[in-house]
Amino acid sequence: MNEPLKYAYYPGCASQAITKEANSTTRKIAQVLGIELYDMPKANCCGAGLLTDYDYDLSIALNARIFAQAEEMGMDIMTICSTCLMVMSTANRDLKNNPHLFKKTNEILTGAGIRYNGTVEIKQLLWVLAEDYGLDKLKNKVKKPLKNLRVAPFYGCHSLRPSDALGFDDPERPWSLEAVIEALGAEVTEYNGKTKCCGFQVDLVAEGAAVEMTGKRLLDAKGEGGRCMVTPCPFCHINLDNYQGMAERKLSQKIDMPVFHLSQLVGLALGMTAEELELSRHLVSTKHVLAETKVII
Amino acid sequence: MKMKIKISRCDPMGKGGCEPYLQGYDIEAKEGMTILDALHFIKDEQDGTLSFRRSCRSAICGSCAVNLNGFPKLACKTQLISEYKKKGAIVIEPLSNYQVIKDMVVDFNPFWDKINKVEPWLNQKDNLPVPLGTDLKSVPKKGGAVGLSGEKKWQTLDKKAVLKINNSSKCIMCGCCNAACNTLEIDKHFIAPAALAKAWRFVGDERESQSQKRLAKLSREHGMWDCVRCIHCTEYCPKDVAPLQAIERLRAEAIKEGVIDNDGARHVESMVDSVKRVGRLDEAAMTFKTLGFLRSLGMIPFGLKMEIHGKMPMPLIFPQIEKIEEVRKIYEEIEKKKRQVEVKVEE
Repeated sequence: MNEPLKYAYYPGCASQAITKEANSTTRKIAQVLGIELYDMPKANCCGAGLLTDYDYDLSIALNARIFAQAEEMGMDIMTICSTCLMVMSTANRDLKNNPHLFKKTNEILTGAGIRYNGTVEIKQLLWVLAEDYGLDKLKNKVKKPLKNLRVAPFYGCHSLRPSDALGFDDPERPWSLEAVIEALGAEVTEYNGKTKCCGFQVDLVAEGAAVEMTGKRLLDAKGEGGRCMVTPCPFCHINLDNYQGMAERKLSQKIDMPVFHLSQLVGLALGMTAEELELSRHLVSTKHVLAETKVII
Repeated sequence: MKMKIKISRCDPMGKGGCEPYLQGYDIEAKEGMTILDALHFIKDEQDGTLSFRRSCRSAICGSCAVNLNGFPKLACKTQLISEYKKKGAIVIEPLSNYQVIKDMVVDFNPFWDKINKVEPWLNQKDNLPVPLGTDLKSVPKKGGAVGLSGEKKWQTLDKKAVLKINNSSKCIMCGCCNAACNTLEIDKHFIAPAALAKAWRFVGDERESQSQKRLAKLSREHGMWDCVRCIHCTEYCPKDVAPLQAIERLRAEAIKEGVIDNDGARHVESMVDSVKRVGRLDEAAMTFKTLGFLRSLGMIPFGLKMEIHGKMPMPLIFPQIEKIEEVRKIYEEIEKKKRQVEVKVEE
């Protein structure tokens, strides 16, 4: 019997508020799969890149504080947010590659009674499923294969880039999300734009461009026959789902593309109900597509 | 190794106008051959009508950038066989986000217009040992660059100051970053990463006197705050210029210099406040602080829709993280370090 996988669990800010369903459904699938998630009640926000726009050293120190907690717990970090993944991995890369920064950061942390030794790795739920847990094991757990469901994978930016900091998938020919979709018994829809930006970062700064970007990704996926989308990132979900109505108005066409969190798609294949997966929290209804494909009647 | 290379063809002077199509060429790939070697081989041996830009063949002139299997690359710096083995195909197209003139040749005028907009030259401060227009004979010889006849010409930077702008100054203007830019794809007026990296080259130069003016200009619409942080520019730059890092530094410098009367800077400042206050991102407060009272009212219909689905962030009860005092202490330590640096500069 192998030891169960254990992670210091970092859901990120969005999934503790606006996309709560990503957090709660991740906990549910982890329980079924036997992945142990340990809370980090002290963990602060990674800064989502905005702290880097203010003060690089502050951003690094606050991220190191998160890593130090995981180090204390003796675990690697698993997040369900691609932006957290990117920000934390970039900070961790810089800390590990730059001895001067490492020293300076620990001097700052000492003032708060903290030390980071540089032993933690940052992972995303997607990677945990595709690699640590394993696709074969995941397949074995599937109770209700998602037959006939054509799923368009949406990576967005931060689960793939910068590749030298993330070091997992290939941003030019990614495979992990497709592999998980197939392991769940669903069909992958290939389309242009699956590794591009959803526009989230400028929602409040350049809303027009953000909405247009969101619409473009959704229409690309729809044009290739995708019936729904799945994303490993809650920020992408906010734009693809919550902003879809605005995108329809801006581009003057109906899109009607339900968007699942990765954890929800896994949950469906594990046989969970719409209530358990909190699908009613989506702005674009998932009912039709799930009824059509007899996933949830 | 035999392989088929597909190349995008488009000839506005030809019969069909300029509707690009893919043409296949069979070639014998040899070990060590680059994509540019393959293009040369096809042009020399198979099809003299094929057009593409090239010059140095050594990844320094920046002429031969193309879209290779969907991503911007320097043709001369990319190995043919390893790319083929990795992707299972070779499809060569002109750079995205540019107008095609013929085949792989694209119109670079908008690229140069953007570079020109950031005024890519140094406006040296008056109080430096050697400001522009100084009578060179009157300047002592210690420090600074020295001209051929021994006169002092220009104030030089020390190593630390050079490192600050070194990445940006490595740009060879190949245009790969702009081809990969997700914002430029949507907004053709966006200043885009190449020009922003160039802007940092001068804003970050310690001799520059016009930084604040530059930052104010860059903070306008279609400027640096419109970047969506997709990281494509940094990922596909063949010279490690890291344009996104330059954009982050420009933004941080703008806030430091007090150029903050815009949504981008307010967005950042509200995040800085939020993390200090509760340790996390407080979405409602962030929207309010970024957009201000009146424009936040405009978000109400959207907010109601979100509320129906239980998605409205709670503006009043926002739980703070455990040990928030540690976070505040880190803020304090950072401020302390900044003050120390300032004192040193004054000394």
